[in-house]
Amino acid sequence: MAADNPIDPIHQFEISKIADIQLGGIDISFTNSSLFMVFALAATMALFVIGLSKKSIVPNRMQMLSELSYNFIANMLRDQVGDQGRAYFPFIFSLFMFIFFCNFIGLIPYTFTVTSHLIVTFAFAGLIFIAVTIIGFVKNGLGYLRIFYPSGIPIFLAPLIVPIEIISYLSKPISLSVRLCANMLAGHSILKIFAGFIVMLGFLGFAPLVFLVVLYALETLIAALQAYIFTILTCIYLNDALHPDH
Amino acid sequence: MKILLKAFLLTAPINFAYAAEGQKSAGLPQMDIATFPSQLFWLVITFSLLYLFMWKFVIPRLGATIEERRDKISNDINDADNLNTEATDILKKYDEQMASASQESNEIITNSKKAMLDHLEMLKKENEVKLNSLISESQAKIKAQEEKSKTEIRNATLDTIKAIVSRYIENIPSDEEINKKLN
Repeated sequence: MAADNPIDPIHQFEISKIADIQLGGIDISFTNSSLFMVFALAATMALFVIGLSKKSIVPNRMQMLSELSYNFIANMLRDQVGDQGRAYFPFIFSLFMFIFFCNFIGLIPYTFTVTSHLIVTFAFAGLIFIAVTIIGFVKNGLGYLRIFYPSGIPIFLAPLIVPIEIISYLSKPISLSVRLCANMLAGHSILKIFAGFIVMLGFLGFAPLVFLVVLYALETLIAALQAYIFTILTCIYLNDALHPDH
Repeated sequence: MKILLKAFLLTAPINFAYAAEGQKSAGLPQMDIATFPSQLFWLVITFSLLYLFMWKFVIPRLGATIEERRDKISNDINDADNLNTEATDILKKYDEQMASASQESNEIITNSKKAMLDHLEMLKKENEVKLNSLISESQAKIKAQEEKSKTEIRNATLDTIKAIVSRYIENIPSDEEINKKLN
């Protein structure tokens, strides 16, 4: 069994039940994945509860941190979508903080990375895809279909362009979810593999150890970067829905 | 997300069949469909809580704080601008006063210089006149003295000649004769 091997890189992604819960025949047990979702929630809440406890004009470190994240996402949304994006700010902000903390908590050894599971990232991506499509049709009516036929294209190219645009539109949630999940999966697997090399090589293990340190720094960057990419792509899709004419 | 969950539930029997088959194989845990409902369920719960927390608590408070700070900063900047213009005005006034004062002092300096020079000139002229009169006076005195000494010398010479001549000859020459010879 894979789970018996101590340096099996896949073992860290396995989901184990903490509390068995069944609801109408469906297994909704509280697992390690659920636990780390709660951790991400708790980390975000801690950041903002501590950061907002004083509300001073001259901020202390925690308040600075919470305001930085607020301004970072607010500016991103304003730059990408404009003032119409204001209504979606709570969602975008929550999305970023959740993915960010899931990615970062997952970097701590012996933890579980929620975002390394495709179903989680796909749930976000699918929700965003459906929401963006609904927003597009509500705001533009049938005019939203123009995104499949960009202006300035000769009519004889339409049979070629329109299917390509439809396929690219439909593949958005897949690329969005696979990008985040695959990055987390690959990064954590490689970390685990090199950690295993250190153990196996004994004295010579310092070579993979050096590599592991460098790789860990890179993974830290990727954890932040993927949260950023996921959020900014959401903003871009939202912008497409609000302004289909570009 | 609920829609996704529903979609999943509709296809659940097929998925579970797959999962049961693949459970024993060492596949990726990500492909273990049996864990999907639990993950989705807890994701919905935690993310909804996070969303509510952000929407109802964080964003209003943070927004208010940031807004308040922005107002405070712009007010402070306005105050600073006002003070700055005030200070500039005062500086301008000060410069003007300085300029007028220095002009005044310059005038005073030139005036007193001129007065001094005039006075000096006057003194010079006065002294020159005095000096000239003194010089001419002394020159006249010198001339008179010269004349006087000349006649005295002549008279003395005449007397001497007369005395010398009277020793050797009885005929004493008159003054006219001697003068003729001397010249």
